[in-house]
Amino acid sequence: MKAGLKVCGMRDLMNIQAVTALHPAYIGFIFYPGSARYIGSVDPELLSSIPATIKTTGVFVNETLEEVKRLIALYELKAVQLHGAESPEYCAALQPYTEVIKAFGVNYSFDFESLIAYEKVTSYFLFDTLTVNHGGSGKRFDWSLLKQYRLNQPYFLSGGIGPDDVNELASIDDKRLHFIDVNSRFEISPGLKDIELLSTFFTLWNAAPAAKNYNDMNYFVNEKGYYGDFGGAYIPEMLYPNVEELRQHYLEIINAPEFQQEFRALLKDYVGRPSPLYLAKRLSEKYNANIFLKREDLNHTGAHKINNTIGQILLAEKLGKKRIIAETGAGQHGVATATVCALRGLECVVYMGEIDIQRQAPNVARMKMLGAKVVSAVSGSKTLKDATNEAMRDWINNPIDTHYIIGSVVGPHPYPDMVALFQSVISEETKKQLLEQTGNDQPDYVLACVGGGSNAMGMFYHFVNDKDVKLIAVEAAGKGVHSGHSAATTALGKEGVLHGSRSILMQTDDGQVIEPYSISAGLDYPGIGPQHAHLFKTTRAEYVSVSDEESLDAGLLLTQLEGIIPAIESAHALAYLEKMEFTGKENVVVCLSGRGDKDMETYMKHFGF
Amino acid sequence: MNRINQLFEKKKNNVLSIYYTAGYPGLGDTVSIAEALEKSGADMLEIGFPYSDPVADGPVIQASSKLALDSGMTLDLLFKQLKELRNKVTVPVLLMGYVNPVLQYGVENFCKACAEAGVDGCIVPDLPMYEYEELYQDVFLKYDICNVFLVTPQTSEERIRKIDGLSKGFIYLLSSSATTGQNLQVSDTTSAYFSRIKAMELKNPTMIGFGISSKETFDKACQYANGGIIGTAFVKSLQSPNPAEGVSSFMEEFTGTVLSQS
Ligand SMILES: Cc1ncc(COP(=O)(O)O)c(C=O)c1O
Repeated sequence: MKAGLKVCGMRDLMNIQAVTALHPAYIGFIFYPGSARYIGSVDPELLSSIPATIKTTGVFVNETLEEVKRLIALYELKAVQLHGAESPEYCAALQPYTEVIKAFGVNYSFDFESLIAYEKVTSYFLFDTLTVNHGGSGKRFDWSLLKQYRLNQPYFLSGGIGPDDVNELASIDDKRLHFIDVNSRFEISPGLKDIELLSTFFTLWNAAPAAKNYNDMNYFVNEKGYYGDFGGAYIPEMLYPNVEELRQHYLEIINAPEFQQEFRALLKDYVGRPSPLYLAKRLSEKYNANIFLKREDLNHTGAHKINNTIGQILLAEKLGKKRIIAETGAGQHGVATATVCALRGLECVVYMGEIDIQRQAPNVARMKMLGAKVVSAVSGSKTLKDATNEAMRDWINNPIDTHYIIGSVVGPHPYPDMVALFQSVISEETKKQLLEQTGNDQPDYVLACVGGGSNAMGMFYHFVNDKDVKLIAVEAAGKGVHSGHSAATTALGKEGVLHGSRSILMQTDDGQVIEPYSISAGLDYPGIGPQHAHLFKTTRAEYVSVSDEESLDAGLLLTQLEGIIPAIESAHALAYLEKMEFTGKENVVVCLSGRGDKDMETYMKHFGF
Repeated sequence: MNRINQLFEKKKNNVLSIYYTAGYPGLGDTVSIAEALEKSGADMLEIGFPYSDPVADGPVIQASSKLALDSGMTLDLLFKQLKELRNKVTVPVLLMGYVNPVLQYGVENFCKACAEAGVDGCIVPDLPMYEYEELYQDVFLKYDICNVFLVTPQTSEERIRKIDGLSKGFIYLLSSSATTGQNLQVSDTTSAYFSRIKAMELKNPTMIGFGISSKETFDKACQYANGGIIGTAFVKSLQSPNPAEGVSSFMEEFTGTVLSQS
């Protein structure tokens, strides 16, 4: 989990409301008359309108205990932040009334050992730049001094944090850093926050990759490109320069403010994000739980795939690439790629298995209309795996000007991490929406279908470190897990290397890849992304499967209960609800990864409409 | 001393290496093709062990791999054939293929089986340098199996130096970044690339491969490297049944060159 944000030092009503709308974890008000941001006497009503999920905090400097207690009661302060020479006994006296944060000004002669006496009588420490005015200088202290801090008490980092500090903050690998406090560097004038600047900072911070080692178990990629035993870049030398170029630059490019601004703007205005989180009432009644559908089906082009292609096309442009290639199974990723190529005027070649070309004809027509060249992959099983092989061969043969937009969290490092980052917007939004709709940003269950695993990884991303949230990944069992016609990778697979990364894949004892089967072209893949392999092996997520039949029935059920025709891929996730048991209280989020237009022929054939 | 190192000690120029897929065109042809190749003047053999998803290969080698797999080729069977082969053939033999079958076999088992069958080296294009160095190098060294790395026109000088340091046997220079089976275009840029490598004075011998299909392209390769590797063109020439019969006529073109110059 990443550190939360605190905004401090507002006075003006409208300004307070605007900051509240950004939903920081803490909002601080300065009750120290010596400060340029002193709040003075405000109407208690004003603070009471701030939702309970944001902690209102009073900032004091050497105030009398009586006055602090009076103000805690008057303003119903959830926390106090003490910036003076308050003693441990002083902190202890306030603890029964509110959360106590003790602030310390840090410089080179600061003695971190002196904090021991405060550990038990406070909830957090706050490290700020040492100034005579008790903070507010707009200057940072030398963060490397924090290496001397050895206690377990979590802390706030404060002092001169500015709009450009996101990357540096995200790279702080310290699980005790719980909150980041921003103030003077986001102001138009003392006490008046620049909302636009703050809002950009919040967006960038939320999108930045989670600090790597927050938990003992790290579920995210390490600097060598591995997730536990899985990942890496098993590629022939011909691909090395391309993949290495990406590896060196992807984070820097993606985290740059102008990239994020463009990416976010396209997601909003072109894709139509945020996608709704819809409480499906009739479905909820049927299953006796609160079922929320994350509506990726409402995205432009009809699936989650476009989140990734928007990100990658912007990245390809930054890398100066002129030609885009992609593989596709259901055609959704192919359409999403052809779409962004049309949008940005880049040449586009999509590889698609011969069998998939037949069963996803409408998407083939869409790609062609969008100006893409669709190349039929005729080797092997003539489905997604072979389309991926062909795309990799194309890339080998065009090493300079071509970018390969992989459509799932598979491939050599950094693809799995990069695609997951672009898709993580799904869970980023879901958390906010859950908080608004249920008052809790953590549901009991999160479900998603898994082909290569991109919608699932996007749906899991911001929940992975929330230990109480159960993650369920649904694979395609085809005609039955052991029928010989299945794509249930974790049930049938073993560890090995496929398409450039070490993961779990369906293979013979001799290491030959087994051709998978599923009625759903998007799930018809013999592997899963390396991060999924890691979540599976560490049992952080549960991997289950449902059959063709069960998923088609679930698709029909959703259609008739809620008026939503889902993609057959997404219907796999829905089908698993049938096998779960609920008590009526659980909040369950299902990723509705795509809509069913492309699957009408299959539905019609099966149900005889 | 490993047969590969012995070869390059006594022959520095015009080394001719031939690639073919094990179990192709017939499951039992692996040994007879090797014998015919040695008789016709091949200095080294690279035998492909087939894989279902050969991403670095073009259509000809893909098709040969698929046929071999469909006929029942496995690593176990191949090692049996290689033991027989080693009784009849003295030139160095390398195995070439993809990493997944090796991992399933177990890297240690694989190297041990190679050593027992008289295999001298391996070319596993999708085994990365990092993993080789960290995890597998010791095993390869223990069984004296040369692991051969590839270099392309895009490989940086720094990386080539690193590869040179890790290599035993020779370094495989790709004529261009391409899947197998393209034709070698000897343009100014490829010449510049080959000259650049030559000027680096690497400690390991170099062999140029991918796209050598004629005497002309082979000669060109030999100007810059210790020799050349012929793959797709040879695989294409194999006729079923009795593929060994056509080997000498295919080889004449190249060995003629070799003999007249050595
Ligand atoms: C709607 C939909 N959902 C899911 C998938 C499976 O892909 P992934 O597992 O990468 O989300 C696809 C793939 O085409 C798809 O179109």
